[in-house]
Amino acid sequence: MTPSKLTQIIGLVGLLFTLQGCVTAKVDEMTYNPPEAGVGASSVVLLGRRHASNYDTERDFVQCVRNHIQGKDDSIDIVEEAQFLDALYPWFEPRTAPMHPGAIRELLAQPAVARKIQALDTQYMIWIDGNTERTDASGSMTCGVGPTGAGCFGFGTWSDESNYEAVIWDFSNQAEVGRINTSTSGQSYMPAVVVPIPIIAPVQGTACDGIGEQLLQFLSAKY
Amino acid sequence: MGLTTIDKQVSSLRAAVLALCLFLLSACGANQVIVESQFPQPTLEPIPVTLGVYFSEEFKTHTFVDDPENDTERSWVVETGTAQVNLWQNILNAMFAKVVYLDQPPSTDAPTSQVQAVLIPTISDLQYAIPAHTNTKVFELWLKYELALTNNTGQPIADWVMTAYGKTPDAFMQSNQDAVGAAAIVALRDAGANFAVNYPKVPAVNAWIQDSTATTSPLEDTR
Repeated sequence: MTPSKLTQIIGLVGLLFTLQGCVTAKVDEMTYNPPEAGVGASSVVLLGRRHASNYDTERDFVQCVRNHIQGKDDSIDIVEEAQFLDALYPWFEPRTAPMHPGAIRELLAQPAVARKIQALDTQYMIWIDGNTERTDASGSMTCGVGPTGAGCFGFGTWSDESNYEAVIWDFSNQAEVGRINTSTSGQSYMPAVVVPIPIIAPVQGTACDGIGEQLLQFLSAKY
Repeated sequence: MGLTTIDKQVSSLRAAVLALCLFLLSACGANQVIVESQFPQPTLEPIPVTLGVYFSEEFKTHTFVDDPENDTERSWVVETGTAQVNLWQNILNAMFAKVVYLDQPPSTDAPTSQVQAVLIPTISDLQYAIPAHTNTKVFELWLKYELALTNNTGQPIADWVMTAYGKTPDAFMQSNQDAVGAAAIVALRDAGANFAVNYPKVPAVNAWIQDSTATTSPLEDTR
């Protein structure tokens, strides 16, 4: 095999690996009273809702939104979800978490909780509710191993759908100050002729970027 | 003397047969889950009461065994005893000013004068569900407790039932045992949260707390 042919093959394989499936995304945003100078030295906490019986907001999605915001403005102090839940155990467990901003007042009436919240200096609490699920899958693929090597043949396709809502609560006013919705969907493909080539639609990643960008604009003085 | 080609092939064959036997045997064993976890320090204002707690031997070594209905399934053994004791000690030490752990239940023959009341938790049921059972992508675990509050001679003050629930999503590269263990930890956290937040809603318990806190101060710590 000539070097030019080898380069072409490597290039083709590289191109196939970087291919992504198409994603359709929609983001709706409604916020009030964003902090003009950003959140400053106060902290923000991002929490996933996990009270529904049929789904949990994924921890890695909450982490992704956190990384998106801090990746673009590292001056925003976002308390890690697990750290906040442990610090305020048992008040933010799925069974006991406040479902409306008015419940914050009842929580702060307890001196131990008020002290912890004050120590964390939390200004905004952002609840993320939703999940990503596979809505359809079809196709088939066969893989085999023989004396001369291994390989797969076939074609698979599947579609994913994400629906997330972020609700922003202002701790000092004990009021809701914003709501951001994102819906994304996309189709992924996996053709296989000897080697399976995944063409993945980044459905959850697009939803994360959509919510993260809107929250960044709300929280950051730079955007 | 070196091995001949035939010897080497026989050795390889033996190794392959041994590996196959081990693989097949591993499928015969039970799914064993030992739930071990450290729980966060609860953020609670302690009630000025001295509470006795009796953990029975059955409670301290609680093990759930589920034998399969057919030969194709493996049985499940879920050991929660150590984690139960950790959780309840953690939550009760934060909830009450003084907690005394008793070696035997209170009775008229052996009254426990150093405490104002005795809590006796019992696990009456544990159920689990894995994706193979329900066709959902979550592992779930339910716990049912029977809680008895007695005076220091064993006379009942209150008896009530409390449930706890935990679930964890089906995760890539996570074994069924790990997932059931994770669901059990969520269920135990839920048990702690449920007890800490909802125990005053049991009328007889509420009345006892009102009486105890109004008339007495916590007794000397005899732990």
